[in-house]
Amino acid sequence: MPPQRRDAETLAAARERDLAEAIAERHVLVCTGSGGVGKTTTAASIALAAAAQGRRTLVLTIDPARRLAQSLGLSSLDNTPRQVAGVEHLDAMMLDMKRTFDEVIERHAESADRARTITSNRFYQQMSSSLAGTQEYMAMEKLYDLHSQGRYDCLVIDTPPTRNALDFLDAPKRLTDFLEGRFLKMFLTPGVAAGRVASKAVGVGTGMFMRAASRITGSGVMADLAGFFQSLDGMYEGFKARAQAVYRLLQSPESGFIVVTTPEEHALREARYFLQRLAQDGMPTAGLVVNRTTVPDLPHASADALAAAGAALDGAPGRRAVGALLGLAAADLDVAHREERALAAALHDLDPRVLVEVPQRAEDVHDVEGLAWVGRRLLGEAVR
Amino acid sequence: METRELLDPRVLFVTGKGGVGKSTVAAALALAAVRTGRRTCLVEVEGRQTMARVFGTEPWDFDEREIRPDLFGMSVDPEASLSEYLDMFYGARRISKLVVGSTAVEFATTAAPGIKDVLLIGKVKELERRREPDGRFAYDLIVVDAPPTGRIVNFLRAPDATTELVNVGPIRGQAQSLVDMLLDGARTHLQLVTLLEEMPVEETVDSAEALRELGVTVGPIIVNRALEPGLDEEARAALVDGLDNGEVVAAAGEAGVDLTEEDAERLLARGERHLHRLELEERMRERLRGAHTPVAELPFLASREFREPQVSALADRLVELTA
Repeated sequence: MPPQRRDAETLAAARERDLAEAIAERHVLVCTGSGGVGKTTTAASIALAAAAQGRRTLVLTIDPARRLAQSLGLSSLDNTPRQVAGVEHLDAMMLDMKRTFDEVIERHAESADRARTITSNRFYQQMSSSLAGTQEYMAMEKLYDLHSQGRYDCLVIDTPPTRNALDFLDAPKRLTDFLEGRFLKMFLTPGVAAGRVASKAVGVGTGMFMRAASRITGSGVMADLAGFFQSLDGMYEGFKARAQAVYRLLQSPESGFIVVTTPEEHALREARYFLQRLAQDGMPTAGLVVNRTTVPDLPHASADALAAAGAALDGAPGRRAVGALLGLAAADLDVAHREERALAAALHDLDPRVLVEVPQRAEDVHDVEGLAWVGRRLLGEAVR
Repeated sequence: METRELLDPRVLFVTGKGGVGKSTVAAALALAAVRTGRRTCLVEVEGRQTMARVFGTEPWDFDEREIRPDLFGMSVDPEASLSEYLDMFYGARRISKLVVGSTAVEFATTAAPGIKDVLLIGKVKELERRREPDGRFAYDLIVVDAPPTGRIVNFLRAPDATTELVNVGPIRGQAQSLVDMLLDGARTHLQLVTLLEEMPVEETVDSAEALRELGVTVGPIIVNRALEPGLDEEARAALVDGLDNGEVVAAAGEAGVDLTEEDAERLLARGERHLHRLELEERMRERLRGAHTPVAELPFLASREFREPQVSALADRLVELTA
């Protein structure tokens, strides 16, 4: 079969399917995609749909829009699941990254004193809020915690709004790589913490590295940093085991990733990259959701003919209004055409299994009614 | 600040929430600068090769290349910047070889995320200060497709995200000189890009406030993809008052378009959504006024594709705004 036809058939088949199975069956659903594509709204809609089927559901969100947060009854970042008013079986919670990180330290530290020493360290405070991948990792950490508590049938999680959504998949591996890395070993070499970087006790390579790094940062910093890493010593095994457990949970068939995008070329490119990575890592992909698509009202008309006809209507205001409507229909056709091409390019040689398109609405989705509207589309119950 | 001052500083950091089209706007600003006689360098910092796609060129890298007359393009990554920085300050290739490996960059991004930004912004400053042999600046304007606003705010709060960690070394001095550049309104504008939608507008208003508090000069806010009404007041009133399906079918028929009653009904619903959207945009404009910065609008282009000709059309609009 020629590749273009194969792509077209894959796309058509994916469009026929919906997320009903994932919403009814899976235990963990992870919504991911680049920033500004409506991940939180999608996650909330999925959670609402799962709860409506009687599943005890929690939606864990990172940074919801104010009005959406209000509609879910979320007013603070406090890591506490709260029941969504007026919706049975549905809890929502906002991730507090710093507190989650603190809990991780407390869990792995040998004593409360040790944990306090670490959490009050200036490097810890910097890292816990800005270490690349921390937010992603903490979201996964919290997810695992909630999974272990067993209070919920369905956990829906919204990944952080990083531009590079892949950070999130990489986070467990990055952490373990870092913990096993040459770099960390260098810091854990006796002598470094004491600031004796030139000492014979330190390997030649390490000494050179530390001198080079110290010339950039100043030597006190490197010694302090080494002290910090050493204070974490003994906890690395625990971190690693946990990171691997999270990874295994995400990889299991009871989990599912939902890649969220808009029909913009840029967002679709990120979605493609993400679908590829999920496949590569053997992660279960539940489907692709394209938010805010343009649905032409006169799909069989010619855009150019409509635009010309629209422009030709003059005279009475009513006629001019009809002219404007034809102009809108023409513009929608062109935009839908652009979106369709970008979607086809993004899915070339890829099978997302499920493809759900959620049409653009006049208003942003910010209440339970709007979430239910999106949910019906995700379940395949409404086409437009 | 006025809209015509849009292209006046030496450096524009173009930033905004994900999905607002900041890269497109950065490319359009660079083209507009070239058209108004400025020798311009467009800098991509996140290695996404968005610009290479827009302009249909080979992938961009750390070497500046003239991609169009007087328009240069480059992509900055922290690793290359670190290497150049070490060569420049220490002339020490051996050290730079040792430090510039995955572990050192891991260090830069892990232990002190600010360092990565020092390196990126450091390269921008080098471009800004560079002079030709005759003493003129090498570039009149540098347009940076910059990291998200939050990271820039963090960086500015911190010569301290860096200095708290890196308190004595030469990076401390370097960080301070970068902050000086960022805070000098004659040299640098922060260029916020938004859509007329709720979340991006909220974030833009908050960012403008936070940036101003930090002493940054915020350029005119650029609204991307603003809808064209396509309706004058009378036509809008006719639509609001309610056309019926028959009237739509009749008028369209006169213009040579055959519609069914159902088509007409769908078009009227589409018209209603359009009016809703225009009202929402109007509310968002009102909200943006709270940012106390002039607003420059770029239209939504309902084109069949989005490539250099579309970016070029947006650049023309920016040139008009600065005239």
